[in-house]
Amino acid sequence: MINWGKVWSDFFIFLALTSNVGFIFSHDPYQLVIAIGVNLLATVLKFGAKKILAAELLATALVADLHLIPATILYFMETHVPLAIGLAIGAAVANVISIVMLVIEIIFEYQKEEEI
Amino acid sequence: MAERKKKKKHYGNVRPKSYRAIYEEKFYDILLQLRYPLMTVIFFTTMGVLILMILNNRSDGESVLNYFFHTVITFSTVGYTEGYQTDPSHLMLNRFFATIFIIIAVPFVYMYGLVTTVNVFMNSNIDEIYRYWRMYKAMEKLKGHYIICRFNGITKELMKNLRKRGIKYVLIEPDASLEKEIIEFGVEYYVIDEPHKRSVLLGVGIEQAKGVVTAFEENTQDLSVIVTARLIRPDKDSFMVFATATTEGAAEKMRLLGANEVIVPDVSVGRRMTSFVLHPPSPVLSGFLEKIAYGERTDMDIIEIRIEESSDLIGRRLKDIRMRQETGATVVAIVRADGKMKIAPSGDAQIKKGDSLIVLGHPKALKRVGEFFKQYKKEEVKTA
Repeated sequence: MINWGKVWSDFFIFLALTSNVGFIFSHDPYQLVIAIGVNLLATVLKFGAKKILAAELLATALVADLHLIPATILYFMETHVPLAIGLAIGAAVANVISIVMLVIEIIFEYQKEEEI
Repeated sequence: MAERKKKKKHYGNVRPKSYRAIYEEKFYDILLQLRYPLMTVIFFTTMGVLILMILNNRSDGESVLNYFFHTVITFSTVGYTEGYQTDPSHLMLNRFFATIFIIIAVPFVYMYGLVTTVNVFMNSNIDEIYRYWRMYKAMEKLKGHYIICRFNGITKELMKNLRKRGIKYVLIEPDASLEKEIIEFGVEYYVIDEPHKRSVLLGVGIEQAKGVVTAFEENTQDLSVIVTARLIRPDKDSFMVFATATTEGAAEKMRLLGANEVIVPDVSVGRRMTSFVLHPPSPVLSGFLEKIAYGERTDMDIIEIRIEESSDLIGRRLKDIRMRQETGATVVAIVRADGKMKIAPSGDAQIKKGDSLIVLGHPKALKRVGEFFKQYKKEEVKTA
């Protein structure tokens, strides 16, 4: 059975990474606005999730946000643009870690189901 | 390392119940309820900024800030055209978008988002959760405290006296309907739970506690608390268990199962009544020793000092050790090894093997007495 709630939340977590990477390569303002919006949505989606790695997942999402918000400000001020790109790369790393943990989480849950 | 070994000692493998975590989770639940309102706000803000960027074909910093500002003032119903006023070329297109955006976004963001957020904060009594959370956070740091089971007349009196002496305690009460009374009585730390559960006793810090007092109306409940506490802390000297029983028979069982002292309230009251009958009350002396023994006087206390077998005090006379001059407390009796008591001993009385000294004085003086005898122990170690 497919869990549609999971599709929904995982979709935003993956989209956060892809849009972030998109910005790193395109340096495009539209992409940056999308990236920050999706990253914020992914953070909010992790609120209240009672999973094994819930705290770590929320922490990585907050790290990504705190990289992207200053990156957006710097980018649109047109000062330190290379630094803004650097921050976006940092956010991408946080998003990758988030996905790795998501996979670990899935393995844990799979084992749990088997035990029962 | 030693601490770790100690922790493994208690039987079974039960995790302590973390009362702090329960209330931290409740905070987290509030975040969960804010999930969808926040998501709508973020989604519509991003969409608004993006569409305005595309419509006006501008992506410089100043314009993006203007579009962000415009989006926010639109769905907060504060303003309408400020964001794109500077650019007249796309005015009609912007107006058209603003109309559609207001129709769709305002109900979602302003009505649903704002109303739900306010509702969540109004209904989740955060201050109450915070009060519990702060109490249990402080409770986790307690050391050398007492655990008291059941809120009733006996434990109320006990808590009153412990408070007077500044001794910390945690109350465990299984009946949730008494919570209001407990708060009114001013109990600093309490949990509403079953005290015979291991997780509960571990959760209130039995491993750091000095002792447990259980005063249920039913012997069975007392017994289960005594046994559970004793299984976790088997050493009778480092961890005290005091209980009440309804009959002498039950009291005996409780002592055998690990209680240090058991009081049968009916018998104790009866005995005290007898003492009144036998010694008619006098205004000064009435209950003088009892008041000291029961801790009703905070300016005076009585303790027992056991003389260790290897102590170098053995064979010395009371006046030679100069305890009264150095500490201000007095030896009122010597209990010999055979149980005989020498009341009001003279300065020439000798300290013998197996003796206990009964010392009376101000609590501060008695603290000095403890240090005074420790000195002798140290010397003893040095010579050995």
